[in-house]
Amino acid sequence: MRLLVGLTAALAIAAPLGAQQSTPGERLPVVKYVLPNGMTFLFLRREGAPTVAFVTHFRAGGVDEWTGISGTAHLFEHMLFKGTRTIGTKNYPAELAIFPRIDAVADSLTAEFRKGDEADTSALARLRGRLRQLEDSARQYDVSNELDRILTENGAQSLNASTSNDVTNYFFALPANRAKLWFILDSDRIRNPVLREFYSERDVVMEERRLRVETSPGGLLREEFLAAAYRAHPYGRPVVGVASEIQTVSRTAAQEYFRRFYGPNNAVVAIVGDINVDTMKAWATQYFADIPAGEPHRPVVTQEPPQHGERRIDVEYDANPQVLIGYHVPEARHPDAPALAVLSQILTGGRTSRLYQRLVIKERAATNVFSGSGPGALYPRLFTFTVVPIAPHTTAELEGEIYEEIDRVQREPPSGEELQRVRNQIEASAVQRLENNFGLAFQLSNSEALWYDWRQTFRDQTGLLAVTAADVQRVARAYFDKSNRTVATLVRPAKPATGGTN
Amino acid sequence: MRAPITVLALSALVTAARPVVAQQPTDPRAQLAALKVAPLHFNPPTPKRVTLSNGVAVYLLEDHSLPLVDVEIVSKVGVAHLPDSLWGVGWQADNLMRIGGTTRLPPDSVDKLIEFYALTATISTANETSTASFSGLSKYTDQLLDLGFDLLRNPRNDTSRVRLTAAQQQESWRRRNDTPGSVLGRAWSQVLMGDHPLGRTQVTPQEIAGFTPERFRWTQQRIFCPDNLILGVSGDFTEREMLARLERLFRGWGKCPAGLRPLPPVQFTHGPKLVLVEKDVNQSNIRMGHAGGIRVGNTPEYFAAQVADFLLGGGGGFNSRLLQRVRSDSGFAYSVFSVWNADTRREDQFFAGAQVRAEKTVAAVRLMRDLVGSMATEPVTAQDVKLAQDNEVNSFVFQFENAGQIVAQQLGYAVDGLPPNWFDLYLKGIQAVTPAQVTAVSKQYLHPDQMVILVVGKPSAFDKPLTEIGPVVRLPVDSIRR
Repeated sequence: MRLLVGLTAALAIAAPLGAQQSTPGERLPVVKYVLPNGMTFLFLRREGAPTVAFVTHFRAGGVDEWTGISGTAHLFEHMLFKGTRTIGTKNYPAELAIFPRIDAVADSLTAEFRKGDEADTSALARLRGRLRQLEDSARQYDVSNELDRILTENGAQSLNASTSNDVTNYFFALPANRAKLWFILDSDRIRNPVLREFYSERDVVMEERRLRVETSPGGLLREEFLAAAYRAHPYGRPVVGVASEIQTVSRTAAQEYFRRFYGPNNAVVAIVGDINVDTMKAWATQYFADIPAGEPHRPVVTQEPPQHGERRIDVEYDANPQVLIGYHVPEARHPDAPALAVLSQILTGGRTSRLYQRLVIKERAATNVFSGSGPGALYPRLFTFTVVPIAPHTTAELEGEIYEEIDRVQREPPSGEELQRVRNQIEASAVQRLENNFGLAFQLSNSEALWYDWRQTFRDQTGLLAVTAADVQRVARAYFDKSNRTVATLVRPAKPATGGTN
Repeated sequence: MRAPITVLALSALVTAARPVVAQQPTDPRAQLAALKVAPLHFNPPTPKRVTLSNGVAVYLLEDHSLPLVDVEIVSKVGVAHLPDSLWGVGWQADNLMRIGGTTRLPPDSVDKLIEFYALTATISTANETSTASFSGLSKYTDQLLDLGFDLLRNPRNDTSRVRLTAAQQQESWRRRNDTPGSVLGRAWSQVLMGDHPLGRTQVTPQEIAGFTPERFRWTQQRIFCPDNLILGVSGDFTEREMLARLERLFRGWGKCPAGLRPLPPVQFTHGPKLVLVEKDVNQSNIRMGHAGGIRVGNTPEYFAAQVADFLLGGGGGFNSRLLQRVRSDSGFAYSVFSVWNADTRREDQFFAGAQVRAEKTVAAVRLMRDLVGSMATEPVTAQDVKLAQDNEVNSFVFQFENAGQIVAQQLGYAVDGLPPNWFDLYLKGIQAVTPAQVTAVSKQYLHPDQMVILVVGKPSAFDKPLTEIGPVVRLPVDSIRR
């Protein structure tokens, strides 16, 4: 039993990073370079293959949308691939001349659409046809997807973007000898974006919503769960957008979103790989310094009011059951956040965690059980359990067992071994997260965008190491209260769906 | 990683770094045209190939930049090589190896060791090959390898974990029709390949009833045994110590027992065949295709097919015909793509797929079918082919970004029977492709009029009856056998 002996020895001696030590990430030779307009660059030269990863975060997310335009942060993310006044066009003035006509038809379509059941379906069809026709006529001046073509032929990798509640990011990697391309292309696209092919892209985004939410039991359940848990704060709104708003958002609204949130002072770029930092600085200045600063980012002022009593919803869908259980907890920068993260690991982090042991291994009542905090990081969020039952076990049964385990952790603190396991995992991940250029660029850029400090993401690990058993017990008592809870259960409709749209 | 790298001429740009002065950039097009790209000189490290005393090949590449070690073990056989009655057992044999304990350690102890030391242990039995990968902090290399080899050599298949796996698979069966994607994938395999093991992804209740520790053991002993294995080690280790360790770990591990079969021949269904699976969703899942015809090899035909797929709906992304027309121009879909699979051992399949708004289903099927056909009838341009070639050539460094990736590449070539310099041959092959070859290979192998077309969706919401495309075979969702 050599292996078991090893385990006991490690229990006694394993003393990874002490709480006072800095993590390897904090010691990275990152060069921070801020232009006078507020645009922030983080440069990190790394040994290795001649590649460079570029990740840009804008402090602009779903939470920054105003009423009536949900989904615009994400739609705008799509639009930033459509080109500029020079890239993506053969004749920009000619395109521009058609835009007002297209927008006018789109506005008429929206007006008709908003009549709801009273809308004239033949008018809707006619206006849709007209919109399509006009947008097609603008295509004669387009070089569709030219940005993508330029990057593809230059060997760019992982070209993509994503929008979250708090921020939006854009990324790709280039061979090191082509790094200048990023400066040319991305300075142009945040300076002169042209929202061409806008209305057909709106349709594309609607299909993305159908794919991720409307035809996905898990996606739909999560959307309804967040809406039930948040009454006031925009974390309750789907980032992909509400269908009726995706279908009617105007080019003007998307332009307004850009104007408000895409100033260079709201952008953080991390450039990681085989680079010369002085060259990068010079190019950053040359390409971005003359873009005027935009409005500063203003945090969301709405605070989610305290919850007065448990909220329970059923979500009907023709699929097998699952349940989400969420408790309101503070934002990621709150002093209790590290203890909550450790608690999550103790309850559901891996096969030796308490809930996995009980629900999956011992009782074979669940296929899996997860927990974690979200949907964002900047504002107070939800600590959420997801559990999928194995029939004949029910979601109600699993819920009860989860509450019993919460009670237990409220009564008795976690053991030394449980905490040590979590600490060892943190130590390993502190190294693993330094493995590749892309991963590093993401972490640096995200941390600086959210917390105005690229080291914060690494410091958070030190914070986790300092968590004590008493801390874990304290936060479990503080937040895991019935009246602070929202439960969303996926159930089959009473009768099999025959008409509906799921 | 520390790779021997020389980036020439980039230094010219470095010394020319401009003074920090803001200036109005000129037209981006002019800048792109004026962009001087220095040649990239890069000699990625080559893993060392060593043969252990039992004949097992090991690829080693040291990289001490981070205190991590990664061991990949590939088996040249998989679940499809098992007798048919054991397919379901083989499909879950990987899971039991990971969670079922070893003859020395009960399952809970294995879980504790892995999670206490923050090790990663992943075992996967796939249809034609199988893999095990073990990684962790290099200070725990002994624990990692001892445990990893124990899992592979001495699986216990503890009854409690066999029962757990059976319960989880039963639940997976119960949930098999919950998402349109799952329905589509399973229906597609059934329609195109019958019940050939290469098309299977779901274990049936009948197979679950046959889960026993002995049957798991039988399959595991035949999939993971020295004659079938190739190893790759990358990261923070020293070659001599690692080889000595591996010799020790393999000691006493005998020959592979008999009992496997060669892969049964694959019969792909010939179209035209139009199949509808009804599901109450507002977005239709569409897939269309047929046998792929192509094998991987150093042949002009294979490289031309690769370029054709890139330009139809593969790596060409937004500049592929399917994405450009179905997504960007028409707004029918968020996801649309093509896959022209090939293998060194046999032909594979070609298909195009999309998720499309229900009310554009028939329009999208027609458009996609036309676009598949367009590869033969509307020749690709020299500029298109150059896009595919430039992409492959200019992105080659990304195939060699870290030691693990470089070792994995060699393991893959060895398993597929490709030469170690396959990547160079591949790049040369792609560069030699002409537009005429792309058209010719499309004409020979892509047959839009002979495709199997499968739609999962709600016909009453379609733009037109599906019968406008051709006679429709209805496949009730419950008659998808697995």
